[in-house]
Amino acid sequence: MGIRLRSCGLAATLAVLTAASPAAAQNPPEHLRLVAPAAPGGGWDQTARVMQHALQQAGIARTVSVENIPGAAGLIGLARFVGSEQGSGDTLMVSGLIMLGAIVTQRSPITLREVTSIARLTGEYEVLAVPAASPIRSLDDLIRAFTQRPEAISWGGGSAGGSDQILAGLIADAVGVAPRRVNYIAFSGGGESLSAILGGQVSVGINGLAEFAPQIDAGTIRPLAISSAERLPGLDVPTLREQGIDLEFENWRSVVAPPGIDAAERRYLEGVVEAMVRSEAWRDALTRYRWLDRYLAGAEFERFADTEHARVQRILQQLGTTAKESSAAPGLYPLFVLGGLVLLGLAAVVPAIRRRPVIPSQTAVRGWRSVGLIAAGGFLDVLFAERLGFIIASAVLFWLVARAFDERRPVRDALFAVAVSVAAYLLFGRVLDLPLPAGVLAF
Amino acid sequence: MGLFDILSALGGGFASAITPAHLAWALAGVTLGTAVGVLPGIGPALTIAVLLPVTFSLDPLSAFIAFGGIYYGAMYGGSTTSILLNTPGETGSIATAIDGYMMARQGRGAAALTTAAVGSFVAGTLATTALAFFAPMLASVALRFGSAEYFALTIVAFTTVSALLGDSLARGLFSLFLGLALGLIGIDPLTGVARFSFGIPQLLDGIDVVILVIGLFAVGETIYQAWRYGREPLEAIMLHDFTGMSREEWRRSWKPWLRGTAIGFPLGVLPCGGTVIPTFLSYLTEKRLSDTPERFGRGAIEGVAGPEAANNAAAAGVLVPLLTLGLPSSATAAIMLAAFQQYGLQPGPLLFTSQPDLVWTLIASLFIGNVMLLVLNLPLAGVWARVMLVPRPLLFGGVLVLASLGAYTLNRSLLDLGLLYGVGAIGCLMRVHDFPLVPAVLGLILGPLSEQHFRRAMAISEGDVSIFVTRPLTASLLLAAAAVLVLPSLWKRKKG
Repeated sequence: MGIRLRSCGLAATLAVLTAASPAAAQNPPEHLRLVAPAAPGGGWDQTARVMQHALQQAGIARTVSVENIPGAAGLIGLARFVGSEQGSGDTLMVSGLIMLGAIVTQRSPITLREVTSIARLTGEYEVLAVPAASPIRSLDDLIRAFTQRPEAISWGGGSAGGSDQILAGLIADAVGVAPRRVNYIAFSGGGESLSAILGGQVSVGINGLAEFAPQIDAGTIRPLAISSAERLPGLDVPTLREQGIDLEFENWRSVVAPPGIDAAERRYLEGVVEAMVRSEAWRDALTRYRWLDRYLAGAEFERFADTEHARVQRILQQLGTTAKESSAAPGLYPLFVLGGLVLLGLAAVVPAIRRRPVIPSQTAVRGWRSVGLIAAGGFLDVLFAERLGFIIASAVLFWLVARAFDERRPVRDALFAVAVSVAAYLLFGRVLDLPLPAGVLAF
Repeated sequence: MGLFDILSALGGGFASAITPAHLAWALAGVTLGTAVGVLPGIGPALTIAVLLPVTFSLDPLSAFIAFGGIYYGAMYGGSTTSILLNTPGETGSIATAIDGYMMARQGRGAAALTTAAVGSFVAGTLATTALAFFAPMLASVALRFGSAEYFALTIVAFTTVSALLGDSLARGLFSLFLGLALGLIGIDPLTGVARFSFGIPQLLDGIDVVILVIGLFAVGETIYQAWRYGREPLEAIMLHDFTGMSREEWRRSWKPWLRGTAIGFPLGVLPCGGTVIPTFLSYLTEKRLSDTPERFGRGAIEGVAGPEAANNAAAAGVLVPLLTLGLPSSATAAIMLAAFQQYGLQPGPLLFTSQPDLVWTLIASLFIGNVMLLVLNLPLAGVWARVMLVPRPLLFGGVLVLASLGAYTLNRSLLDLGLLYGVGAIGCLMRVHDFPLVPAVLGLILGPLSEQHFRRAMAISEGDVSIFVTRPLTASLLLAAAAVLVLPSLWKRKKG
C-alpha cells in the first residue's frame, strides 16, 4: 500500500500549504499524473500538455506525466478513471463540454457526478474549415450545398455528441435543415479529424481554433467561419453571425480528480490547479492558443457543471442528435468476429487437438509437472501481489518457475529468487518509481 | 519532400543523435537488444513492452533511440543463438539456424557469425537509407488515404499475416480471429457503447496489447519451454578461436547480402508479419541460384548470409508503414505503436511534419546503432555466446518476474495480472499445436481500427458499399488480400 501512503503523506504536508494555495509551489510533490482522455493532437491533449509544462515550469510539481486514453469522446478515459484510478490523490483528468455531450448522447452509466470536480479552465471558439483545394469557397457555398442535399455534405469533427457535433446541429437548425440529417463523421480527437479534413475525406471540418490555427497560418485549410460573437483581433476569419447565422458557441474544458479521494487530497489538487492558472507559463499558453481564461473553481464550478448538464441535455434533445449509427450497424461486426471464431475453431482447433501436439514433449509426466509448477506460480502471484507485496509474490513465482526447469538445486534457486525480487523492487519500485506494492515488507 | 530536404533533415537528425546522451541511449539499446536477441525466449517486443512503464518519465526521443537500438540489436543477437545453439533466439533467425548450426558443428562458427554480423550491417545500413528516402514519400501520398483505403490496408495485413505465417490457413485465421474477438472487449470508440465488458469496469477500456504480447510471448514461451525441455541441459557449441571468414567466404557472401536486402526491405514494408517470411524467401532464393544446391542444409555460408541480411532489411522495412501510416505489421511494431501513443504521438502521415526532429533523430540513430552493433558483435561474439548459457531455471524465473512486473504496473490492476497468465496458457497451447501468435496480436491492435474505418467509410459514402470497389487503390488492395487467401491453396492443389 505504498502508493496510498505516499500520496496521503503528500496531502498532509500540502493541506498545511493550501491555506495560501499558490504557495503549494514551495514544496513540490514528486509526481503528478495527467490523463488526456483523447488521442494525441486534440484539444484535451493540448490542454494536458500545456498543464504539464506549466506545472513543471513553475515548480508546482517535480515531474508530471501525461497519459492518453482515446475514444468515445473521453468516455473510455472516464471509465478507466472511475475504475482503476479510484482514490489516487495524485491524478487529474482533463474533461469538459465534449465529455458532457457524450455522456448525454450515449446515456453513459458513468457521469461527471461520479468524479471529483476541481475547476473549469478554458473556453475556446470553434472554427468551420475546408481544405484549401475544396470547391467550397465560403460559408454561403457550404450552406447552399447543404440545404440542397444535406446528406451529401459530410461534417468531420471530434467524437459523437461532442461540441463539434452540437455546433453542426445548431447550424443545421439555424438554416432550416433538420439536425437529424447532418451526416456527421466522428473521429476520436481533433488530431485524427485534422488528417481527414486535410486529406479531403470529409466536405467540411469543425474543430477548436487552437487545433486549426497552425493549418490556417500554413494556408493548407480555408477557414469559413468562427463561432465567436465578434471577429478576433489578428485573425482574418468572419463570424457565423456576420454571415447571417445567428449563433455564438464556446467549448469549455475543465479538470477533474478521481472519485474516492479525501478532503485533504482534494484541497491539495485544487491548490495545485489554482497555482497553475496563475503561473506565467499558463498565461503564455492562453495567449498562444487563443484560449479564453474561464477559471472557475469549487462550489461555483460544481453548480456550473450541473446547469451545463441540463443545458446540453436540452439542446441535444431538441436537435434529436442521438448517436448517429452508420449504415453498418455496430452489432454486425461482433457477430461476424464471434461467428468466424466458432467456425474456425471447428476447422482448426478440433483437428489440432485430435492430431496430438505437432511438437513432442519431454516425457509426459515431467512435462505436466513443469506446467503445474508454473501454473501454481502464476496463481500465487495474483493472490500475493497486493496482499503480501511484490517482493514475496515475485520470489515465490521465480522459485516455482525455476523448479519447473530444474530438479536439483532448490536452495540456489531460492537464493536467486530472493535476490532477483529484491533487486527488481529496488530498481523499478524505488529508483524508477514504478507503483509496485510494498505489502507486508513495507520499507 | 525533395532529395535535398531529406538529406538536410537527415543531417539535422545526425547532429541531434550524436550528442553524448543520445549516443549513450543508443548504446544501451543495442546492448540490451543483442542480449535479448541472444537469450532464447525473450525478444524485442517483450523487452520494449516491459520497459514501457519504466521509460514513462524519460523524454520520448531518448526512449525511441533506445527502442530502435533494442529492435535492431535483437536482429543481430538472434543469429548467435541460432548458429551456436540451434535454437533461434528470434523468429527472424529460424532460417539462419539451418546452415549456421551446421557450420558451427564443422568448426566454422566464427565464419558464420561474421557473415551474419557483416550481412546484418550491410543490409541494415542500406535498408535504413531506403527507409529515410521512401518513408517521407509514402507519408505525403498517405495523406490522401481515406477510411476506405485504411480499411483495405488492415484487411491486407490480416490476410497476409494469417495466410503466410505458419503452414495452415485455418490456424492462422483462428489466431487472427482470437485477436479480433479480444479487440471487441470494451467501449466502442465510435458510439460509446460498452461491449463484452461483463460489467467489469477495468474491461471498459479493453485489453491492453502489452498484456497480450507479454502473455503470449513471455508466459506462453516459458510454459512451453518447461513442458518441452524441462531440465534437459542446453548443448551449445563453444567458439575456441576466432578466425573469421576466408577470402572465398567473403566472395560467396556479398551477393546473398545484397539479394537478402532486396528481398527483405520491400517485404518488410508490405504488411506481412515481420521478418519470418523474408528470411525463408531469401534462403530459398540462395538455394535456387546456387550452382551447388546440395550444400544447403550442410553448412552453406550463403544460407546464413542471405537470411541474416533479409531479416535486418525487413526490420527496417517494417518501420515504414509504422511511421507513415500508423500501421504495425509485426508484434514489435505493435508495441512501438503503443509506445508512441504513450508519449502522445500519433504515427501517421502527419508525423513527419509534426515531429520532424523525433523522426529524423530516430532514423539517424538507427544508422549509428548499426555501426555500434557491428563493433559490438564482431569482436565480442564469444562474450555473447556465453550470455546464452545463463541456466534456464534462472533465465525463465527472471523472465516471469519481469513479465508480471510489466503487466501489473501498466494499470496497477490484478485483473491484468490474471489475464497475463490466462493469455500465457492460451499462448502455450497455441505453440504446442503450431498456431502462429503474431496474427492474434495484430488482430487485437488493428481489429478496432479496421472496424472504425469500415464504419466511417460507410458513413462518408452514405451507406453505399461500392466505395470499396470504385476507389482504385482500395479495390486493388482488397483484391490483393483476396488473392493472398485463395492463391496458395490453388497453387497447392495444382502441384499436388
